[in-house]
Amino acid sequence: MNQRRRAWREILLTAPSFGWLVVLFVVPTLVVFAIAFKPPDALGGIGHGWTLGTWRHLGNPNYPAIIWRTLWMSLVTTALCVLLAVPTGYCMARAPRRWRQPLMLLVVVPFWTSFLVRVFAWKTLLHPDGALKRLLVALHLVADSTSLLYRPETVLLVLVYTYLPFAILPVYAASEKFDFSLMEAAQDLGAHRFRAFVSVFLPGIRRGLLTAVAMVLIPALGSYVIPDVMGGTNSEMIGNKIAQRTFVDRNLPHASALATLLMLAVLLPLALYPLFAGRNNDQKPDRKEVA
Amino acid sequence: MSASRRSLFPVAMTALVLLFLYIPILVLILYSFNDGRFSVRWDHASLKWYRRLLHERAIWHALRNSLLIAVTATLTSTVLGTTAALALHRYRSRLQKVHYGLVYAPLVVPDILAGMSLLLLFVACGVQLGMSTIYLAHVSFCVSYVTMVVLARLQDFDVSVIEAANDLGANTWQATRYVLLPLLLPGIVAGGLLAFTLSLDDFVITFFVSGPGSTTLPLYIYSMIRHGNPPLINALSTLLIAVTFLAVWGSQRLLAKQRKDG
Amino acid sequence: MAEFLEFRDIKKSFGAVQAVDGVSLTVQRGEIFSLLGPSGCGKTTLLRMLAGFEAPDQGRILLNGVDITDQPPHKRQVNTIFQNYALFPHMNVRENIAFGLKLAKVSRKEIDERVDAMLELVQMRDQAKKRPSEISGGQKQRVAIARALILKPQVLLLDEPLAALDLKLRQRMLLELDLIHDEVGITFLYVTHDQGEAMSLSDRVAVMNSGKIEQIGTPIEVYEAPTSSFVAAFIGDTNFLEGAVAALADGDYCRVRMPEFESPLLCFNDKRLSVGNRVYLSIRPEKFTISREQPQPDRLRNMLQGKVEDVIYLGNVTKYWVRVGEYRISVSRQHNRFLLDEQPIRWEDDVWISWHADDGFMLERYSESDEDLLQVPPETVFETEEEPEDSSQDGEDRR
Repeated sequence: MNQRRRAWREILLTAPSFGWLVVLFVVPTLVVFAIAFKPPDALGGIGHGWTLGTWRHLGNPNYPAIIWRTLWMSLVTTALCVLLAVPTGYCMARAPRRWRQPLMLLVVVPFWTSFLVRVFAWKTLLHPDGALKRLLVALHLVADSTSLLYRPETVLLVLVYTYLPFAILPVYAASEKFDFSLMEAAQDLGAHRFRAFVSVFLPGIRRGLLTAVAMVLIPALGSYVIPDVMGGTNSEMIGNKIAQRTFVDRNLPHASALATLLMLAVLLPLALYPLFAGRNNDQKPDRKEVA
Repeated sequence: MSASRRSLFPVAMTALVLLFLYIPILVLILYSFNDGRFSVRWDHASLKWYRRLLHERAIWHALRNSLLIAVTATLTSTVLGTTAALALHRYRSRLQKVHYGLVYAPLVVPDILAGMSLLLLFVACGVQLGMSTIYLAHVSFCVSYVTMVVLARLQDFDVSVIEAANDLGANTWQATRYVLLPLLLPGIVAGGLLAFTLSLDDFVITFFVSGPGSTTLPLYIYSMIRHGNPPLINALSTLLIAVTFLAVWGSQRLLAKQRKDG
Repeated sequence: MAEFLEFRDIKKSFGAVQAVDGVSLTVQRGEIFSLLGPSGCGKTTLLRMLAGFEAPDQGRILLNGVDITDQPPHKRQVNTIFQNYALFPHMNVRENIAFGLKLAKVSRKEIDERVDAMLELVQMRDQAKKRPSEISGGQKQRVAIARALILKPQVLLLDEPLAALDLKLRQRMLLELDLIHDEVGITFLYVTHDQGEAMSLSDRVAVMNSGKIEQIGTPIEVYEAPTSSFVAAFIGDTNFLEGAVAALADGDYCRVRMPEFESPLLCFNDKRLSVGNRVYLSIRPEKFTISREQPQPDRLRNMLQGKVEDVIYLGNVTKYWVRVGEYRISVSRQHNRFLLDEQPIRWEDDVWISWHADDGFMLERYSESDEDLLQVPPETVFETEEEPEDSSQDGEDRR
């Protein structure tokens, strides 16, 4: 009797969230996969029968370029974010204890600020008549005619700006748990400070680094607003194409196929994650790595 | 190698990173007090754009929509997230493994996919797009965040207090009511606050599932960015930043209290 | 009349682990009964089944003749002191203590009176308004006791209640627990892995090992007359000597031949063993007399000659490890006289050890693995240097 009541309670507690997510997350995702194999109809709806036609369309030269650009922009963004996050996270973790909380707040606040507001702030800053542009022209770093906006580099800059806190937080969290006496031990054993950093500290925060990579790479792959607002046609990403196919062309199968592709691009790093994360504790770097 | 025990490089990098994070925001705030028609040229300080903001009816309408959705979505997702966290914490069945995957997955799916798939679902079911579809969409992504926050709080505290309550004569309901929920409250509030800000700030998913008459604040800001009046956006953004600061400050106070009790 | 508290053939497994394996025992009203054993022996599981947090797979639990096996925890008239106290962090001391009475819908006036009395009993009057995070470990302990006792339980369950305290505080709380028991007269069921706590506090002790009860008895019985090698080795320290009964001697004695030693040893034969039976003899270190000169022969004393291999001076006692043939025999000796006046026994000295035939105890059950519980120093220092973290000397205190 007790057993049955327990089972009932479990179902009672599980059902609301479970049901909600099945209906509004699992089912729609499956619908997207299904529609990718449907033909479009002339009215912007979905035709009858099944087809691979949409997938063949993705071979059209337009798409590989965009897919390629999405991948490299996301990877460069991720690399830059992690590169900036490691010294920052390290510095925050080594700061005196009473400074850590305020430092973390400083990193978190931009992350809590409205996303659109942050993107817009860059638009103001990079505006042809803006302060930054005039400063750069005065320093003869750029010509008056060059635009700082609507370039792939601009998109990259704002991507890094937006996702940097996502990288700093996990790196900081891992660094804070890291036992810094290990670095002293390495130096004591004759490792140069930088050597100790590379061969003891970085393996020690490996999980934090991987989380940072995932936290930046995944949303960067799905970017839509930043290339839309900051970039031109030469910096479109898959996200822009999905929106365009959905709203402008009303070609839902095309949009679905692109979405499926994006989904695969996201799932791939996630599937690889456990491979890199390893089973052993992140506190203990492998013997091999230290040696 | 050097006299100082610690390298200055990370400190310098951190300073630069913080500068990088704050300069655009500070410039934006500064410009919001600029009198000039073109926000990028500095004329003189004024509150003109804030006054103008007051008379922009569409903004107030958008804000009302945003708040309405944020409040309802927060309430719903807080209830769903708390029950989910309790289930995940209390039971170790195969069902809960699937449940965890289900709760976790929305956190890693890009917004644009979530938005598009929900749009297709609504279209396929013939649901009229509008406030209700935005509400449904927002709850779907907020549930995962609330669950994770509450679950973290649950994993932090000692389960034996629940057993102690039972031992002292509390039935399951009483133990939940007098011990579990009061202890969980800071986590639930923090989760709710997170859901509230996420809902208030969401653009991409809302963009896909909104319909006529359901313009939210981010949708409105987006259209202003594309076609509108930059100084007005500056002023509005500054107000939003101020609200964010207050919210972060409040949640930090809450966390500090939670840490003291825990 | 029915027993006060009775466990009848309790079994409980968690997955593949048999945590409790057929335990039956009875507890008298008003006594302090201890469940003593190493971690993982099933003692806590047994206690949690009495509290109602776990359900046994098999067997019944009876309290005052009533089967309470299927009652939920909040209906049982037993209360628990948790190992980490499990005080409610969001309530102050007073609210913590009043919690049970409030649930029981006792009138506010009565709650106030009873809480005041409890605060008095555990000397926490001045701390009544403080939160658990603001009081010390010993004070938390007292609040936990007050919170459980205020409900006047039939049995108070204590789950390693002193484990989180440091040694000095532990000894003081032990004394306080004893005083509180005398005051309230409630039955205590006390779970611990610390033999010192169990021995000093309990009226009776059940020694448990891998889900089974090895022996139930008064502290003196389990120490002086262990029935198994586990009990002998787990409680206190001992030496095991292996042999077979060679002859029955006058009265209650028998002669046991050990292949190691020339002459057979005289043993008290309370088990009524006959010639040929294999036996294990347990002799506690403090039962030996050690001397450099051969002691006067005594009909009831056994004597062995050996060489001292290790000496550890501990202040109140000195421990010697004496090599006798294949055995390393642990001997401890109290210093009744001023030590510096003697010429002390040193490493490599040839010595005689002797003991009274009544002090050797023949064991009914023996398992070789129990020898790991003994405090034996390493044979040589260098052999064990590979694993410096694992200092086995204090294995017993440290769990």
